[in-house]
Amino acid sequence: MLNNVDLLLEQTLEHVDIALTAIVIGTVLWVPLGVFVYQYDRFSPPVIGLAGMILTLPSLVLFPLLIPVVGIGTAPATVALVLYSALPITRNTYTGLGEVDAAVERAGEGLGMTDRQLLARVKLPMAVPVIFAGIRQAAVLIIGITTIAAFFGAGGLGASIFAGIRLNLPKQIIGATIIVSLLAIVTDYGLGLLQRQLPGGKRGLNT
Amino acid sequence: MIELSNVRKVYGDSTEAVSNVSLEVSQGETATLVGPSGCGKTTLLTMLNRLTELTDGEIIIDGTPISDHDKIELRRNIGYVIQEIGLFNHMTVGDNIGIVPDLRGWDEERKKERIGELLDLIQLPLDTKERYPESLSGGQQQRVGVARALAAEPDIMLMDEPFGALDPITREELQDEFLEIQEGLDVTIVFVSHDINEALKMGDKVAVLNDGELVQYDSPRDLLANPRNAFVEDFVGEDRLLKQLSLIPVREATTSPSELDERTSTVLHPDDTLKSAVQSFYHATEPLSVVENGQVVGSLSERDIRSVVSDSAEEGLPNKYA
Repeated sequence: MLNNVDLLLEQTLEHVDIALTAIVIGTVLWVPLGVFVYQYDRFSPPVIGLAGMILTLPSLVLFPLLIPVVGIGTAPATVALVLYSALPITRNTYTGLGEVDAAVERAGEGLGMTDRQLLARVKLPMAVPVIFAGIRQAAVLIIGITTIAAFFGAGGLGASIFAGIRLNLPKQIIGATIIVSLLAIVTDYGLGLLQRQLPGGKRGLNT
Repeated sequence: MIELSNVRKVYGDSTEAVSNVSLEVSQGETATLVGPSGCGKTTLLTMLNRLTELTDGEIIIDGTPISDHDKIELRRNIGYVIQEIGLFNHMTVGDNIGIVPDLRGWDEERKKERIGELLDLIQLPLDTKERYPESLSGGQQQRVGVARALAAEPDIMLMDEPFGALDPITREELQDEFLEIQEGLDVTIVFVSHDINEALKMGDKVAVLNDGELVQYDSPRDLLANPRNAFVEDFVGEDRLLKQLSLIPVREATTSPSELDERTSTVLHPDDTLKSAVQSFYHATEPLSVVENGQVVGSLSERDIRSVVSDSAEEGLPNKYA
């Protein structure tokens, strides 16, 4: 039993490690991409379309497709998870910036802000609630899909779940699954707290 | 001083939003632009800070064409207030007011001091600066909007229907407050309104626009006394005589006391308007005494009023005075 606890703890940490890495990389990559397609709107249909297409690929297909490219272990998992986070994060950044009140934009412009100042000091902070909703959605999604990564040797709580399926141990399956769900809930809550710390982050937290 | 000469704005599909408008606003004066919706007043206003680029003509501010200025620099020197207010809701009231000083690189100390001054000017308590705009009422928000525009001590203020979205009582409050604030400043103001009463109240000069053309540009009194054509006459309203009377102080029509009837219970002050004088005629016998500081300084009769109110308005006189 004690061994089990140790193992679960280890897998939980692995799981968190893989998922958080993907969320951080996804945020760093896709928020700027969202800003880019907002500024160069002609790129928004292909970029957001492609991100949507990626999300429709079943993870059982995407993971093995990446193995020849990036090798085995956590690498294909991280790449796949980052790709999955592209749609919610890019699209919410794009939409959030587009929804900034036109009057506020006009006021900023009329007061003498440069385009860059307007983006950094007005539009991005005002879009924070929508952008964060995308990041939180991506986080929940990623924590769920990380489970599949175990199938291709990345570790994490999926290992216990797949072992439980093979050995017909429903308690083990349910236990590990509950931990995955708790992780998703805690991460979502944690990101909500983080959002509060950002300028403009206190608004729209109920969405 | 702002000079517009033959300013035109044509949009892509050859819609002429503003056609050949020329006018001057002297330093420290307020010009109101008024007209029905779609008359080009907002387009004209936004050409002054180059939010809209003009197609033809020239706009000169203090001797320099605005096309010679860097757009960003130009806007930082011009206050801008809009009907939708457009406060930055993610920033505190203090940061909102301090935004232009901040963009212009003022140091913290100077900025803080200026924010305090402005909150005092718009009659909000100093601790409002820590609050967020969404916690303020509409009237308070627009006061902050005005403070934000005044923050970097601009020489020019552009106001696009600034009080248009407020309820009538708050609107009047803010109009009066702003007139008071303005007296202490040497700011040239261009003020857009769709409401002729507001335009007459706020403006030293009123520009009436229709279909992108400047129909008449005159002082409120001249505009009321001599509307150039049927459009202006119609636009200023049927009660233009009463409006005119409400703009003229009793002082101007007062004649020296001759046979004074000291017993009249109704007395006027020289700063009262002729409108209130006319009202008084209904329950007092003329002439009325004009009293200042307890001293009778003159008398006022119907005839005196008629001598100052322009001839062309006579036809609009109510029967009693015709």
